[in-house]
Amino acid sequence: MISFRSNTRLYLALASKAYARNIQYRSSHLLHNFASAAFGYLYACIWIGLGRDHSLGEYGTHGMMQYITFTQTSLWVASFTTVGLGIPQSVRTGQISLDLMRPVHLFPHLMAKEWGQIAYQFLYKSIPIYLVMLLALGLTPVDGGRTLPIALLALAGSAYMGICMGYMIGVSALWTTESSWLHWSNQALMNLLAGFFIPLQWLPVWLQQIAWASPYPFMLYAPTQFYLGKGNPLNLLGTLAWCIVLTICCLLLTRVMRRKVEVQGG
Amino acid sequence: MKMQTNPSTRIRTERRTVIRNYIRLYLLLIRTSVRSRMQYRFNFAFGTVLAAIIQLSEFLMVAIVLAKFGAVRGWSMYEVGYLFALMTLAKTLYRTFGNEVHNLERYLVEGELDQLLTKPLPVLLSLMPRGFRLMPGELLQSGAILTWAMGAMMRSGQITWWAIPQTLFAVFTGGLILFAIGMATAACGFWTTRISMLQNMTEDAAQTAARYPLTLYPGWMSGLMLTAIPVGLVSYVPALYILRGELGVWVFPLLAAASCLAVLLALAFWRFGISKYQSTGS
Repeated sequence: MISFRSNTRLYLALASKAYARNIQYRSSHLLHNFASAAFGYLYACIWIGLGRDHSLGEYGTHGMMQYITFTQTSLWVASFTTVGLGIPQSVRTGQISLDLMRPVHLFPHLMAKEWGQIAYQFLYKSIPIYLVMLLALGLTPVDGGRTLPIALLALAGSAYMGICMGYMIGVSALWTTESSWLHWSNQALMNLLAGFFIPLQWLPVWLQQIAWASPYPFMLYAPTQFYLGKGNPLNLLGTLAWCIVLTICCLLLTRVMRRKVEVQGG
Repeated sequence: MKMQTNPSTRIRTERRTVIRNYIRLYLLLIRTSVRSRMQYRFNFAFGTVLAAIIQLSEFLMVAIVLAKFGAVRGWSMYEVGYLFALMTLAKTLYRTFGNEVHNLERYLVEGELDQLLTKPLPVLLSLMPRGFRLMPGELLQSGAILTWAMGAMMRSGQITWWAIPQTLFAVFTGGLILFAIGMATAACGFWTTRISMLQNMTEDAAQTAARYPLTLYPGWMSGLMLTAIPVGLVSYVPALYILRGELGVWVFPLLAAASCLAVLLALAFWRFGISKYQSTGS
């Protein structure tokens, strides 16, 4: 039986190594932030343009600029995880068989690495993008930044859900060579159902129902609502519930995966 | 007795034979690429369905905004649907033939480009057919949106049947412009190796922006999208004439000239870049 608890130091080491590996490229990644902030600015421009002809409901143009600033910033924590947590690559090279043989469970092993990656992305991508967008759009943090702690707590839940979804996508590489398409589909659904560009209450009712039956709204929409000071703390329970459900799915999938894996060639 | 031929005629004939051989080889390589993809039929069908879902969700983002607010800077839902479909079709054309140009970073980082340089063929010719991509999901999705938008505008009398060949022409020139932008961006990789950041701006962000009327953006941004990164010529400019009768019929020669010029400039930049390329080593 593989123990989860006795490997805490290992998981910490894996996370810190992933963080350290990324930090080698921080100057190149800082340039990347420029592209990401440009994307966010573009989306904000769309809402500014729309705001010239229409009132933007309960948000207003200023509120929508804050909304887009936070969702664009949060993508690097909740959505832009490693494709399939690196499993598709391991499947291609055969490394997956060795990973499954290790005396650590594959899910927490890969999750620990991804936490290191997310911590790095939060510090070197999310924060700079947030600051650049605030400056470019002439904004200040909502409510003097007092809403940030609860928004960041919700975002930590989003990061966990993002890891679980990445893991499930990665596991699909055992059945298909097209798992990258699942990754891109997940990103597309994230844009639509997590309320990345459009607040969920503006979606048609049928689409809202689909969205709320999935974990997506808890990944971007809920943290953003907290940031804007409109969130209901009970939504954190929804985040927690989805974290539990997705963890169970990942553990079950690992079981199936152990039986499925086969090594080809020599 | 041997016939004496004019040297310039002989050079022309040889050049024509070389081009004909290149085209024949290009088609052969495409056939091989398609056949290799078809070895994994389930994966192909799976990828196609997921690509359609991605397209649908992207269009829904635009459609929901339109459904909520009615019009964008005076452009109706059908007109914005048309802009979206035109951009997607042009992008599909570009990525069907030029996907590997877009993926050049992988070749640069892993040193695979060195292998292509040793082949007795122009690099572009050996690179492009490798990733020839059938994209039925994108084609069906954007074709359906275009039919819906144009059908509605035809019924209301806003456009006539003439809009169909004009739109096909715009898709073709748009595909060329996107290919030129993609090639110029990829050529930067001969110096920088990593190009994904640049692609995010010149391709992804620019194409996303051009799905909406350019009047939505600040002047400097729309100016940029009509000159330095001319994605505005892919959808917005042709739509101004085809749907609204603005500008003039000179839009079509302009699009033809701009797309040819863009490809020639990008090709020259590509050649210059490749002459400066230094391998990443082993």
